[in-house]
Amino acid sequence: MKTLEATKLADLAAALTAAGYRVIAPCQRGDQVHLECYQAGKTLRADVIPVNSAKDALFPRSEVIGRYRFEGNEFETVPVAPQAGKTVLLAVRPCDAAALAPLDAVFNWDYKDEFYNAHRDATTVVALACTAADDQCFCTSVGGSPDSTANADAVLRPADGGKRFILESLTDKGQAIAAAGQAVLTEGQAQADPPAQVAPAFDSAAVTAWAKDGFDSPLWKELSLACMGCGACAYTCPTCHCFDIQDEATRREGVRLRNWDACGFGLFTKHAGGHNPRHDQASRWRQRVMHKFAYFPERFEMLACTGCGRCGRLCGNGMSIREVCSQIEQAAQAGVK
Amino acid sequence: MTQATTQTETKAEGFEPRIVAFVCNWCTYAGADLAGTSRLQYAPHVRIVKLPCTGRIDPLFILKAYEGGADAVLVSGCHPGDCHYTSGNYHARRRWTIFRRLLSLAGVEEGRLFFSWVSAAEGQKFADLINDVTAQVKAAGPFKHNPARRQAW
Amino acid sequence: MVANINEIQSAAAALLNEGKVKLVLGYRVRGNDRVPAFVTQADQVGCLAYDSACTQNLAAYLRKGEVRSRMPLAVVARPEVMRSLMLLTAESQIAEGQVTVLAVDEQGFHGVLDLAGTAKLLNEQYARIAPDSSLMEQLAKIEAMTPQERSAFWSEQFEPCTRCYACRAACPGCFCERCIVEMNTPQWISTAAESHGNFAWHMIRAFHQAGRCVECGACQDACPQGIPLMLLNHFIAREVEREFDARNGYDPQAEPVIGSWKQDDKQEYIR
Ligand code: SF4
Ligand code: SF4
Ligand code: SF4
Repeated sequence: MKTLEATKLADLAAALTAAGYRVIAPCQRGDQVHLECYQAGKTLRADVIPVNSAKDALFPRSEVIGRYRFEGNEFETVPVAPQAGKTVLLAVRPCDAAALAPLDAVFNWDYKDEFYNAHRDATTVVALACTAADDQCFCTSVGGSPDSTANADAVLRPADGGKRFILESLTDKGQAIAAAGQAVLTEGQAQADPPAQVAPAFDSAAVTAWAKDGFDSPLWKELSLACMGCGACAYTCPTCHCFDIQDEATRREGVRLRNWDACGFGLFTKHAGGHNPRHDQASRWRQRVMHKFAYFPERFEMLACTGCGRCGRLCGNGMSIREVCSQIEQAAQAGVK
Repeated sequence: MTQATTQTETKAEGFEPRIVAFVCNWCTYAGADLAGTSRLQYAPHVRIVKLPCTGRIDPLFILKAYEGGADAVLVSGCHPGDCHYTSGNYHARRRWTIFRRLLSLAGVEEGRLFFSWVSAAEGQKFADLINDVTAQVKAAGPFKHNPARRQAW
Repeated sequence: MVANINEIQSAAAALLNEGKVKLVLGYRVRGNDRVPAFVTQADQVGCLAYDSACTQNLAAYLRKGEVRSRMPLAVVARPEVMRSLMLLTAESQIAEGQVTVLAVDEQGFHGVLDLAGTAKLLNEQYARIAPDSSLMEQLAKIEAMTPQERSAFWSEQFEPCTRCYACRAACPGCFCERCIVEMNTPQWISTAAESHGNFAWHMIRAFHQAGRCVECGACQDACPQGIPLMLLNHFIAREVEREFDARNGYDPQAEPVIGSWKQDDKQEYIR
């Protein structure tokens, strides 16, 4: 079996970089850990769940999807090909890898999104099995597990009490990683560490069932009272995928951009005429829950939440989807509509 | 956007700066006009944007000018006490006082942002001002570290 | 937890029982976090908690329709939050009778106050709140840099900003119904989370807090990306005090600093 010394994760990143990959890995940034492009000198942190999710690499926060030029009264569009270089998501958590399923589904549903798919095809996923979880993790409540290999091309399993990793290749893309990293990998034996214990937080089926008839529930108002309407949860969420199309132009030329957007913003559904069908935060928060636990299962037979716990960890107002889902489950049990 | 890039960055030698001036209609613009009708010669690097009053000059305008690749920005209006709308320039002055300090902290140094009072009678002051600002910016060179610069997409 | 937490709880219960308020905005404990608590019944006050980890500025909720509709209400407020309440009073967002203050600091609970009483307490007890010394050191370092270095420093700091506007949402002063960043005819500030849009956003956000920011730190705490917003906020508050001798959030009748003027305001930089 192929193993990697725990201290050599950055060496693997360097080897893959040398092999022509853009390596997206958990890097220390100030006192935080961000999934960002590895460069020599950056410290890698496999022990912390990064602030941002792996979706950034496949669905960038801003992406040029079109160009145009003006010349006098003439107008001309300039074709734009996706800028998708060979990428590896190195040491991303199983919950981030799991999120590729809902992203793949939505970006290939009624329309095959050429930009997303180009990034996706160019990407290799090397998951990192979790041996520790914090009190916000709830992958096991939404169909995941801390050692899941779903959507991964290879997996790093912590072994021998965290001293090294076992690298298991699962696909051809994964084999290519093992080959490119050969110089820093060793052939040997190691004992995989037990996966993290993630206690169940709620019954997602109960949430989905309640949500089916829950659109008009007065409960949303109470559940969403603390929400202040920013996009922090959506922007760090591995599955949230809403975007806005914006043009930026001068008199001579312009670009068409796809920027992230979030259902929590008041402006998200505001019509030009001023009417807003989601007129309060309760209806916006309802959309967040419904999209993930009702509409997605209905349309794609999967949840659009992987239990990474980022929203609970990051929201300054304490709006954790985990907590809200637990409250919904309790309401369902108590027969509250 | 590319035009600004080529103009400011490739011509470091014989550098011709782009300076954007936001001026009020009643004093500085009239002063500039007087400089023109008096046939005073002054450096041709300033693009003048006329507004009703300095009070109308939102700090965003200044940022927009840098975003578009200005090497320097000049803001000018009526002398204190002479505002056509009584107090627009006093309001503006408070904003400038803080905003220029903020920009300086962010990397836009003094020699990239100028403020002045030029009255309708001060054609000569206007010409001298433009010459002096232009000379300073020329000496400083292209604003390569412009933090507000529109990125190349 | 502060020692006299039960006094906060009983004060909240009394306000609710007597019908003086319909809602108490406070904090509760959730694991290692402190999250807001919305207490509407006297028998729920047991969840109310307070300690120095309660950094969220609850005054920000006063712009939210669902919360405003439950006025009169009471807010658990540390000195910075009290200052926000003064600012909101000065800017006509709240009025006496709508908000009751449950005054707290690290030592504990200091009583139930109306807005006038809060102004008095603030000016007597908390007239000068020293900013964090590491903040000042860092600022001094930045100010000692060359313009090139400062420009590079900030572009690195702003780079991870995703424009989620959690900083705006957390700030009681950011109560505009339509924020400047949403003005799109024309689009003044690029909405793309890229260099120039991020730069413009951070300059304008900070500038809109000139004469208004009470340095509560809620915006920086709320930022998922760890962007050092307090450097900008503190810098501006310092400059406002230096130039206009104004300190934000102490006088509920104060004129807005940017938006008022004096004939003899300094102008040595204007030629
Ligand atoms: S500074 Fe932080 S909180 Fe504010 S928009 Fe940027 S990422 Fe969001
Ligand atoms: S801008 Fe100032 S008042 Fe607003 S949240 Fe930040 S520190 Fe508090
Ligand atoms: S940044 Fe400015 S415009 Fe936007 S909400 Fe804050 S104060 Fe208002």
